[in-house]
Amino acid sequence: MGLIYEGFLKAIEMLLSGDREIYEITLTTLRVCLSAILVSTIIGIPLGVLIGLHSFPGKKIILIFVNIGMGLPPVVAGLYITMLLWRSGPLGHLGLLYTTHAIIMAQIVVSLPIIIGLTSAAFQQIDSKMLMQIKALGATKLQRLVILLKETKLAILAAIIAGLGRVLAEVGAAMMVGGNIRGDTRILTTSMVMEVSKGNFDVAIALSFILMTLAFIITFLLTSLQQRKRRV
Amino acid sequence: MKINRKIFALMTLFILIMTACSNENESVEGPTNEPQDMILATTTSTQDSGLLDVLIPIFEEKYNINVKTIAVGTGQALAMGERGEADALLTHAPTAEEKLVASEDVINRKRVMYNDFIIVGPERDPAEIQGMDVAAAFQQIFETGAIFVSRGDDSGTHKMEWSLWEKASLDPSGEEWYLETGQGMGSTLQLSGEREGYVLTDRATYLSHAGNMEHMEILVEGDDELLNIYHVMQVNDRKYERINREAANLFVEFMVEEAQEIIKEFGMEEYGQPLFFQYTE
Amino acid sequence: MNILQMEQVKFVANKEVLLDIPYFSLGKGDILGLIGPNGAGKTTFLKLLSFLQAPTEGDVLYKGEVKHADTLSIEERRQLAVAMQQSLLFDMNVSNNVAIGLKLRKENRKVMKEKVDYWLEKFHISHLAKKNGVSLSGGEAQRVNLARALILEPEVLFLDEPFAALDFPTKIQLMEDLKDILKDTNITTLFVSHDLIEINNITKKLAVIIEGQLKQMGNTKDVIHHPNEQAAPFLGKWKELYTI
Ligand SMILES: Nc1ncnc2c1ncn2[C@@H]1O[C@H](COP(=O)(O)OP(=O)(O)O)[C@@H](O)[C@H]1O
Ligand SMILES: [Mg+2]
Repeated sequence: MGLIYEGFLKAIEMLLSGDREIYEITLTTLRVCLSAILVSTIIGIPLGVLIGLHSFPGKKIILIFVNIGMGLPPVVAGLYITMLLWRSGPLGHLGLLYTTHAIIMAQIVVSLPIIIGLTSAAFQQIDSKMLMQIKALGATKLQRLVILLKETKLAILAAIIAGLGRVLAEVGAAMMVGGNIRGDTRILTTSMVMEVSKGNFDVAIALSFILMTLAFIITFLLTSLQQRKRRV
Repeated sequence: MKINRKIFALMTLFILIMTACSNENESVEGPTNEPQDMILATTTSTQDSGLLDVLIPIFEEKYNINVKTIAVGTGQALAMGERGEADALLTHAPTAEEKLVASEDVINRKRVMYNDFIIVGPERDPAEIQGMDVAAAFQQIFETGAIFVSRGDDSGTHKMEWSLWEKASLDPSGEEWYLETGQGMGSTLQLSGEREGYVLTDRATYLSHAGNMEHMEILVEGDDELLNIYHVMQVNDRKYERINREAANLFVEFMVEEAQEIIKEFGMEEYGQPLFFQYTE
Repeated sequence: MNILQMEQVKFVANKEVLLDIPYFSLGKGDILGLIGPNGAGKTTFLKLLSFLQAPTEGDVLYKGEVKHADTLSIEERRQLAVAMQQSLLFDMNVSNNVAIGLKLRKENRKVMKEKVDYWLEKFHISHLAKKNGVSLSGGEAQRVNLARALILEPEVLFLDEPFAALDFPTKIQLMEDLKDILKDTNITTLFVSHDLIEINNITKKLAVIIEGQLKQMGNTKDVIHHPNEQAAPFLGKWKELYTI
């Protein structure tokens, strides 16, 4: 218990003293996670909508792969991205391994299926009569989509929250493809692992508080957006 | 309408944060003399001890090179060299390194420093190895079947441990009391503390963890067999593509010259003793 | 000229012919009732005629031209307003629910507000304006559903059993309201129902559909009082019960 208390004090001290490194790690974490989730959202929601609304041959297979992807262990994603980005690998010439871009790629791979899967599930649940009613009201294709997105906003924000949770929590792939390089690819989770292995539990605990605070703030924002009061 | 605005605000926030961060990076680097990247594959012990955190910035500053330090086990670090995935290596497994020299995967290999391995174990010392030489201590642990915790990760420390078992003609693999963690030195030390097992570790890592495991102590030390010798080398750019030869070469020279002054002093302040000793050729 | 027309239309699902209409037409200004037992194909008929669903065979014509559910232009679509059997309101307040069609048509804000107020008034739901659409009772929701369609002032109005879920007094009241509104606006209307009282009250023409086929079509009073052999079994029971 004493350790947690010490860690808490350390966290406050590090934050208050404006420890530049901690600040940088936190910003990198934010930048990496938010970029990844932004890309996943921009790609994932339209794909989820397409899969959810339309029936086409191969839909079932695609959904199976999406569902497998939702449970894909991040280190598996990390391994394949590492091999892809190796100097000797197919994308080696891009020099992306051990950069934040590589971490973002890995995080997109693990969060995209979640967003596609949960979005398509939400759209599959829309009453076909509702679809017809919206069409009948004279909505253009785009307007139809906007209305449907509004109707499914609870589920879609839940999808984004779930994706973000996974991305913030992820460590294995970030370690593998990012390399935990100081001042560069070090993010909160990888530096926690490192601090633990160095025996600096107080620093690790401090980092965990920062990570939890971030997760809390972001989830809080999204949840309050999701649960905005209904005017009854 | 109301949520639209909220979503918009949130998106703007996302984008602001991201552009803020990326701008910062760009302004630091500057477009004109962009530093070149160099990948250094090294062992967790050099990173965990904090030595590289001191050395690397000096090197980066001096040569305008951006070093990407990938801290992994020596086995993996050497494998990265063998695949041409790194530019320079800093490792401590002489026998394995010599193989890479022979196969011309690495060149310009130079001795840098050493620290020493020690055997740490529980205070009550169930196998009664305190003060013995290494061979006798390993024999004793083997015979009493006291818990021994191994890295089991093909790291330099693991390789060292194996060569010690081999010299004593013992094979502990598969024994019930022989635990392999497959993790870094820090985690392995902590596990040995929890299980009250013996463990072979480098002194630097132990010193940084000693505060968290007061019931453990150094039982065997000072044997010549226990020297942990570090070499720096560069990956052969004739054999692999995209190797930054120039930077790697500068790094090797830096480690055997300028870095030596810092290595000598490193750790004195915090632990009252140096963690590494100069040992150039 | 007929606004809407069906020619040799068939709708087949799971190899079962659910609808078989050799010919049907809806003229300008018609208020046509479509009556039939549950499962007769009324809703299917309405969806085909309003281009929400494409027929398996045959053509549906809008103003003499063959159109298709997927290719109907947005301007043409916006001339056809549909209130489905289920109210299907959106998760937003009643005003916005009623205004949605006008919003989609990018109607001027001021005009929109005036129209919304007018139609809320007309259906006696002004007091519900700020309530969320998904929290309404069946009768309230059905009024919003009707207002949402009528506010569009469409060329053709399609109503699918709008009173089915209502209790009797509410039904009577809403029926009177709708009757007045249709008389005032003179909108061409397809009114689907299985209830002869509603049909008798609201429509001027009547078509009887049983098992996917139109059995009789004509002046409402004529059809009710002189049903042919095929329509009689269904209409007869109603007449006995309610002595229309
Ligand atoms: N897309 C469809 N696929 C299969 N059966 C359908 C489909 N649409 C309607 N049906 C069936 O067609 C029949 C007529 O349905 P419907 O038009 O809804 O009847 P009504 O509105 O007259 O009660 C019902 O038996 C219904 O189950
Ligand atoms: Mg029906």
